[in-house]
Formats: sequence, structure tokens, C-alpha cells
Amino acid sequence: MSIEETTVHHHAHHFASADDEFEAAKQGMWIFLVTEVLMFGGLFVAYAIFRGLYPEMFHAAHQHLAVNMGATNTVVLITSSLTMALAVSSTQKGKRDHAIIYLVLTLLAACCFLVIKYFEYTHKFHDGLLPGGLFTNTELKDPKSPLFFSLYFMMTGLHGIHVLIGMGVITWILRRTVRHEFSPGYYTPVELVGFYWHFVDLVWIYLFPLLYLVG
Amino acid sequence: MGSNTQKQHHHILSTKVALMIGGTLLVLTAVTVGVAHIDLGHFNFFIAMAVATCKALLVALFFMNLIHDRPENGMIFATSFLFLAIFVILTSTDLFFRGDVYVKGPLMAAVQTQSKWAKPWISTPELVAHGKELYSVQCVACHGVEGKGNGPAASALTPRPRNFTATEGWKKGRKPTMVFQVLRDGLPPSAMASYATLPPDDRWALTHFVLSLAPQPEVDTPADFVKGNINTNPVGGGEKIARTISIGQAMAQMAIPRSPSDENAHLDHPKFDRISEAVQASNPGARLYEEHCVRCHGAKGEGGIKVHALGVYPVAYVTTSAFKSSSENLKSIQAFIHFVTLGLPGELMPGYGQLSASEWKDLYQFIQNR
Repeated sequence: MSIEETTVHHHAHHFASADDEFEAAKQGMWIFLVTEVLMFGGLFVAYAIFRGLYPEMFHAAHQHLAVNMGATNTVVLITSSLTMALAVSSTQKGKRDHAIIYLVLTLLAACCFLVIKYFEYTHKFHDGLLPGGLFTNTELKDPKSPLFFSLYFMMTGLHGIHVLIGMGVITWILRRTVRHEFSPGYYTPVELVGFYWHFVDLVWIYLFPLLYLVG
Repeated sequence: MGSNTQKQHHHILSTKVALMIGGTLLVLTAVTVGVAHIDLGHFNFFIAMAVATCKALLVALFFMNLIHDRPENGMIFATSFLFLAIFVILTSTDLFFRGDVYVKGPLMAAVQTQSKWAKPWISTPELVAHGKELYSVQCVACHGVEGKGNGPAASALTPRPRNFTATEGWKKGRKPTMVFQVLRDGLPPSAMASYATLPPDDRWALTHFVLSLAPQPEVDTPADFVKGNINTNPVGGGEKIARTISIGQAMAQMAIPRSPSDENAHLDHPKFDRISEAVQASNPGARLYEEHCVRCHGAKGEGGIKVHALGVYPVAYVTTSAFKSSSENLKSIQAFIHFVTLGLPGELMPGYGQLSASEWKDLYQFIQNR
């Protein structure tokens, strides 16, 4: 790949150098991720409180989740995180072709995650395991059981939305990579999208044991 | 490439390290799922969270490159978890320990104290010696220095206090569990009060001491423990330890006048009707109501009963309100459970969430029909 092929990125005039711009963008991303932690945090607090109040209900309700599917999705997401990390390092090394392959693999894994999630959700709908007043399942006797599924759908739903957004931004950087917009000299968007995707993985790392493996 | 490019020394994750981290994450996932199949009680949760945290750290440090990033970025990210921890801990502390705040002093010490002895229901010389010390403070006024039931206060009491040196006349019997029950429950209507405010260890020690005063004490059988509702789980010191004391117990404690000089002492005795035992036997909701609600709300839920806040001086009175069928809190069982579970923070109505699904239903039906 020669320099002529690459669209040269000019840093914004209010930054002293491209390095400054990169560091500022990265720090902005970290601060954004802090707000993400706190957004999911509210749901994790709700989870902690209700699990503390109704441990038996949580235990009974979680048995209606498919551990195999949850575990498979964990493997899928971790693999996608790995391919994303490799896409970033390939871009940094100037290996554009590798970066494209890794980005496509990441997207495929994300699709796979959502397809599995779709089957899980469909099964829950069918069994009437729905949040709040929509709950119609008769096997779970505890009147508080809908609470577990409110939390389940809120937490995995918010996470699912993040997966969709992640797929959107990965597609965006894939397109820009194909158009030769990144080089070892400029890869800020790739690295920051990578952060976002790893964060999505990070949330799932906690969601999986909390929802599917209640002791 | 001049000023339009980034420095080349930015750390790049090597493929080898990336694969190692990815592999480790997959192994840790397998560990989490594997451990979940083994029942380790509460440890399951802590192991799952520890493994998840290891995985999260690997992702953050290597995939997100925090290990080579500027330290302030790591601090920014870590701060979010610090605030999340504050959020979780303060919220849980409020919700799970709010009940404890109302009850202070020796009563809470009693329920929180753990056993120093592995099996305090079996007599040892140490327990007897400890019991002797306690006896000289707690019992001597009525039962006398030698345990003959002839203490300074004995002459005013009918029936007379137990003579521990005699082998006859013990109301409940001379087995340790039986004496323990008397200390726990008292012997109404006699002057023998419940000493449930003493830690279980101390009550066992007193038991063994008073039994040592007469020859040939009797020995417990396993059935005696069941009969006396005594749990031989060592942590409890031979008694179930409640996380919070029952409302009934707290209310009973409230009924004790603080001091004769308190001019409102007569108000400390809540006057309330009880629900008859026949009704309690036929209606499980009535039994629950009698156990948890009647002391403040009265047999008819009529309200207007004064109860004072524990541990507050000068004594503050709270007047309970009547149950209204129009109340939002009684509209549906969900609303009822929600209200009673949370209680009224800052007021005397404690949060109460330890009933089973069927008990909630019984109690709700009973209150609806008031």
C-alpha cells in the first residue's frame, strides 16, 4: 500500500498535533464509556436489590433461561472482541486487507449473537415469560417472577441495542477502511470503535453469570 | 509524514498476545459455566463475579490497551466503577438494613452475637463458670445467691422463684433444652420474664450453671431440640438468628416503660385487642396478622394506636392510621406486597419482605376482609 492510495487525514486546527487530537479523542471516548457504565449501573443496582430481596424467586426464574445459548453467545462475543482487537492492530500496522477480514468477522459474530438472542427471545415470548403485566407463564408460582423477566429483558435488551449500534459503527469503519481512509498514521475511529465493541463484550461478561448462572 | 500523522511508538497489540488473551477468556468462560454446576452455596456467586472481573480486566487492559494507555484514562474508567460501587452499597445498605436502624442497644447485640462455643448446648466447665458470672447479675435478685429461690425479691412473688438445688418442681423439666426454652420464652404468667435479649451463648451458660446446682441433671435427646424449636446450627448458638428482629419482638420491647420518671410511661403500653386463637387456627392470614401487624394496627385495623419510636429521646409517638379499603396500597395484591415490602422509610412502618408467596396471599385476603 503506497501513501498515494491513502486519503491523508489533516488534524483539526485547534489541536497542536495529530497526537494531541488522537489523545483527546481517546480520552473523550473513555469519558463516554464512563457514562455507559453508569447507565448499565442503574440496572445492575436494580438487579442487586431485587436479587437480595427475592433470592428464591431469582433462582426459580433463572432456570427458564437457556444456559447453553447464553454460554454460546459469550463465546461468540469474546471471539468478536478478539477479531476487533486484531482489526485495530492490523490497521495500526497498515495491513488493510487483514483489517477488512477481521472487521467482517466481527460483524458476522455480532449477527450470530443477535440471531441466538432472537431464538432466546422467541422462546421466552412463547412461554409467556415476559416483563411485568405481560407475564402469562403459569409454571412460575411466585407472584414476583415477572420482575426477573423485566430485568432480563431490560438488561439484555439495552445490551442488544448496543450490539446493533456497534454493528452500525463497525460497518462505518469497514467502509472507510475499504476506501483507504486509515493508515498507521491515522486510525483514531478504528481504535475508538474497538473500545466501544470491547465495552459491549465487557457488559455481557457480567450479564451472563448474573442472569444465566444464578447460584 | 510530518505533523499530520500520529507518533509511531503508540503500542500495538501483537497477534500472539491477542490470541493468548482471547484463549484465556474462553477458558475462563468454561470455568464459570463449570463451577456453576457445582453447588457451593454463596461461593458460587463470588466465584462467578471474581471470574467475570478477571475477564473484564483482561479485556480492558489488553484489548482496550489500558495497560499501555496514559494512566489518567485508566483512572477515569476505574472511577466509574468506584461510583457504581457506592451506588450499589449505599442503596443495599438502606434497603437491607433499614429495619436494624430502628432497634438499637442490647436487643440488636443479642441477635447479632455469634456463638463462641461450637456446641453451647453441651455443658462444659467454661460455660458453667460463665453462667455463674451472669447469674450473679441477672438472676440473683429473685433466685438467691445459692439458687434456692430465696433472693431478696422472692418474698413478693407468687409463685415463688424456682429452687435450683431441688430436683423436683421444675415446670418445663430439667433438660438443658427445657431450661433454655424458659430463658428464651419466659414463663408467663409468672414473674419469670423472657431473657431473649441475652445472646444465646449467655442463655446456654446460665442453663448449664443452674442445672449444675442440683445433682443428676437430665440429658437431652435429639427429639428435645426439635420439640423446643432449637436449631443446632453452631453459628446460631442453638438459636435461629434473625437478620432483623420480628416486629412483634420489637413492639414487645417498646411496651417496656423506659423509666418510672417518664411521665408518659403509661402510654408505652400499647392497648390493642388480640385476634382470638380460634380465628387464628382457621385462617392462616389471621395468624400472620396477629404475628406481624396487630400490635400497631389493632385487631380491626382501626388505627389510632400510639407506638413510640425506639431509641429516640424524648420519646416520639407515631399514631397508626386505619386501613381504608379505598387505599391504593390495598387495590391489588401486587400493590399491597410492594407497599409492605418497602414500608414507609423514615416512619415507623418497617419494610417487611420475608413472607412466602402463599403467606402474602393469606395476609392480603385477611386484611381485605377487615
